[in-house]
Amino acid sequence: MTRLPRVARWLLRLSPVPRETRAEVEADLGELFAERRSERGGAHAHWRLYRDLASLWRHPGPLVPPASHESTVQFQRGGPFALLRDARADLSYASRLFARQPAILILTIVGLSLGLGISTAAFSIMNAAALRGEGLVDPDRAPGVLRVTDRSVSTAWTYEEFLQLREGSTRMQIEAALIDGAPVGTAPDAAPPPSVDVAFVSRGFFAATGARMALGRPLQAADEQQVGPPPVVVSFVFWTSRLNRDPHVIGRTIRIGRTEATIVGVAERGFSAPNNRLLWIPLPAYGAVYNSRASAGPVTRLPHVVVQIFGRLPPNVALAEAEAQLSGVTAALAGSATSVDSAVRVRLDPHAGLGRASQSETLAIAVFVFAVIGLVLLLACANVATVLISTAISREREMGVRAALGASRGRIVRQLVTESLALGAIAAAVGLMLAAWAIPMMGVMIEAPEGADLAPDLNVFWFLGIVTLVTGVGAGLAPAWHGRGVDLVTPLKGDGARPNQVAPRRLRSMLVMTQAAASVLLIIMATLFVRAAFRTATINVGFDAAGLYAVSSGLGDDAKPFWARAISELQSVPGIAGVTLVELTPFSGVTKSSITSDAPARVVAFNRTRAEYFDAIGLRVLAGRTFTPGETGAKAPVAVVSQSLARAYWHEQSPLGQMLPSEIPLIPGSTRPVIIGVVSDAITARLEERSGFAVYEPLDPASEKFAQLLIRVAPGAIGAINQASQRLRAIDPRADIRITSVAAALHQQAGRPRMLAILSGIVGLIAIVLCVIGLYGLTASVVGQRTREMGVRVAMGAAPRDLLRLLMWDSLRPVVIGLAAGAGAALLVGRVVGASVFFGVSPQDPMAFVGAAVILLAAATLAVLVPTRRAAAADAALVLRGL
Amino acid sequence: MKGERLGEFEEFTLLAVRALGDNTYAVPIQQYVEKVTARPISIGSIYGALARLEQKGFLRSTMSEAVAERGGKSKRVYTVTPGGFRTARDLHQVRERIWNAIGSDERLMGHASRRAEGGRS
Repeated sequence: MTRLPRVARWLLRLSPVPRETRAEVEADLGELFAERRSERGGAHAHWRLYRDLASLWRHPGPLVPPASHESTVQFQRGGPFALLRDARADLSYASRLFARQPAILILTIVGLSLGLGISTAAFSIMNAAALRGEGLVDPDRAPGVLRVTDRSVSTAWTYEEFLQLREGSTRMQIEAALIDGAPVGTAPDAAPPPSVDVAFVSRGFFAATGARMALGRPLQAADEQQVGPPPVVVSFVFWTSRLNRDPHVIGRTIRIGRTEATIVGVAERGFSAPNNRLLWIPLPAYGAVYNSRASAGPVTRLPHVVVQIFGRLPPNVALAEAEAQLSGVTAALAGSATSVDSAVRVRLDPHAGLGRASQSETLAIAVFVFAVIGLVLLLACANVATVLISTAISREREMGVRAALGASRGRIVRQLVTESLALGAIAAAVGLMLAAWAIPMMGVMIEAPEGADLAPDLNVFWFLGIVTLVTGVGAGLAPAWHGRGVDLVTPLKGDGARPNQVAPRRLRSMLVMTQAAASVLLIIMATLFVRAAFRTATINVGFDAAGLYAVSSGLGDDAKPFWARAISELQSVPGIAGVTLVELTPFSGVTKSSITSDAPARVVAFNRTRAEYFDAIGLRVLAGRTFTPGETGAKAPVAVVSQSLARAYWHEQSPLGQMLPSEIPLIPGSTRPVIIGVVSDAITARLEERSGFAVYEPLDPASEKFAQLLIRVAPGAIGAINQASQRLRAIDPRADIRITSVAAALHQQAGRPRMLAILSGIVGLIAIVLCVIGLYGLTASVVGQRTREMGVRVAMGAAPRDLLRLLMWDSLRPVVIGLAAGAGAALLVGRVVGASVFFGVSPQDPMAFVGAAVILLAAATLAVLVPTRRAAAADAALVLRGL
Repeated sequence: MKGERLGEFEEFTLLAVRALGDNTYAVPIQQYVEKVTARPISIGSIYGALARLEQKGFLRSTMSEAVAERGGKSKRVYTVTPGGFRTARDLHQVRERIWNAIGSDERLMGHASRRAEGGRS
């Protein structure tokens, strides 16, 4: 017999089918389901199944037990079904009510769905970034292995060290991973395949992480010794986005760098350690991927490869015990030739395990996002509550009638909650659609890595469900709370004295206050980001990025002769004004810097270049000279510094011939260089650091394999870069030539604050809209209730202008108080997060505060003015006669 | 309440039970009615109709033995009572009489139209 889908069984249990006959109905449904599926397919069978289930509600008298016909109606009386029936009645009543007041319905749903949609989108991003993790099982028992010497603590070990640690470790399993980018082609004819971040992992990686496979098998110990194409495990995201979820993907060959690799497994959805990786391949295949010569057989020694090590503690071993044992292993290591440092110790840190670093980075963003979620939701809830309270006041009479007819307090509350839950459910559906549309956009804005799986998972639906429930119940309870101790008689008698007026107005004022505070906080943040965006757009980087191109060869050890030929070839290409080798090209994403030990601490960018670099990028030599060929060849301890650095340490004096100041830390073991020249400032590392402090050292021949080529194309020389590309490819067909525009990289960097500005601008705008909706609704209803009072005032001789002033001030007072509270909160937030988040714009920027206050006050005045004017123009005679 | 009379859907259901050769249960009945009426019929409406028919005494139901294909679940099987069958037959006869009357009207109308055509020619 076919078992029904779980949801269907669950729905059946909820249905009004009596328990005695439920098994029979389930069997019937199962039979129909199986037959329909075999005849018309699964989709049709499911559709009909749920229709049938729904029909059990519509025809609630099934299967009469023969003895008593009475039991057919049993469920309609009392029992657990009474609640359901009441809910049905409440719902139909609510739908009639809302049909009569479509404006309120639309306002509420728009407000609530905006709030729910934005917060759901933000939550899914954060869920993907921070909460979901990377699928590591029990990460606390998988600590990172840190390399501690007298001078440094780092996560980087050489491959040799790793092999020795693995052999020597007796207390825990030791595994390594290495992340590197490589072009990955899934189709044989794909032109230049895009670069993908690949994790090279040791043999026990999958066992240690606890990853499960969706298809195929994980990498195993035997894979390290494999001759021929290495095996590869692909992530769920890669399988979905690049392999079209091909179920027969196991055994397929893809191209990674310079080798073919055979897919042996697809990791389960959610596994992406370390740091959102898409592919996992055995570490010994590193040589094969980057160097064709090594592809003949597995590599066991990778002298220049640096790996990240982590471990898996068995259940009965303490962290300290494993740490001591491993330190013993490294102590033995120190004597051997593999280690340069004198004494290497081991520290095990659960917080430095795989993917943990990225988590702490995202934490700041997560806190920010959660704050925004909270604020927007608060706004939406406050808004819905405001609207519902307004309607509740006008419904006092109805409630009075209900109570008079015998409805209990609980019954009335239940109706209100049902109404707001219905509103919440509709808003959640709209909000989900909104989120589905906003998530990919937000993903682009926060520059989510390619491997990140942003699609909402169960967590997100739980979040939405719970938030909807809380919002619905909360928004429904607020008016119910306000209506407590309802006086039955007064509303029934019609309009008259209203003793019960103070409490709701205070509650609603508080809601408006909250809304105003949240809006002002959001608008201030948006303004700060907008200012940051303007500032970065007008930043002077100190050189002309247009016409600058960076070239990487992908050749590794063979790069040195390639660069020599490339430079001589390119110099003869017309239109190319300069060619130079440099370790780090501008805005390549890789930076080398240290932070000065004096106050204020400043970031100093380090780079190694040839003498031609300054000319090619366009930096003026202000004093002294640049490197001679002899200095670059011999790795002489000389340096060229930037103007602002020279000025900071030597003021008006000449730094030439001086040592680099000791406040600037160097790489351990290197000699402190002598300054031979000063050049103009340039920002080449990160825009938001805005630091012009730079130290340039000569690029020695041994380091050329790590270098990139920087090409300056003369203005107007169209086609020069294409020609250069062809020449370079002709030099060595094995080279993987990649030419990137420096101007484009700069543009992308400058785009980040712009994206944040857009994002917070949108949220801020939504906040204002929500606030205005709430304020308008509130004012309209309050003013409506005070019409009689206004009539009396006019009759006593008040001028319309006095009335206007009175009503305006009454309505605007909570906004002003909220504004002050919000501004205070913004000051506090600014103090906590600091200026770096806002790209150097001070979080106490007066422009932002004044701007936000003006925007909110203007919007609020407008929202209040419209209904107030109408009320102030009331005709006293008409009002007092009750017309 | 339709009292002792039959609604259209009830009639279909009753006749389906008879057509399926008595001692039949909800699933084949649903499939049969869906096939002859060529419209999607929900199982709930069949349950409803069966319950009403039984209440009116047109159907009788008993629990069958547990069947292995249904996972050991027993099923309620229905048989048309003589009274039920009589009522359905009466209804059919009433309909037939009416249709006969309509039939003669149609014949008359046919004559009339032919005459009209003749007059025009």
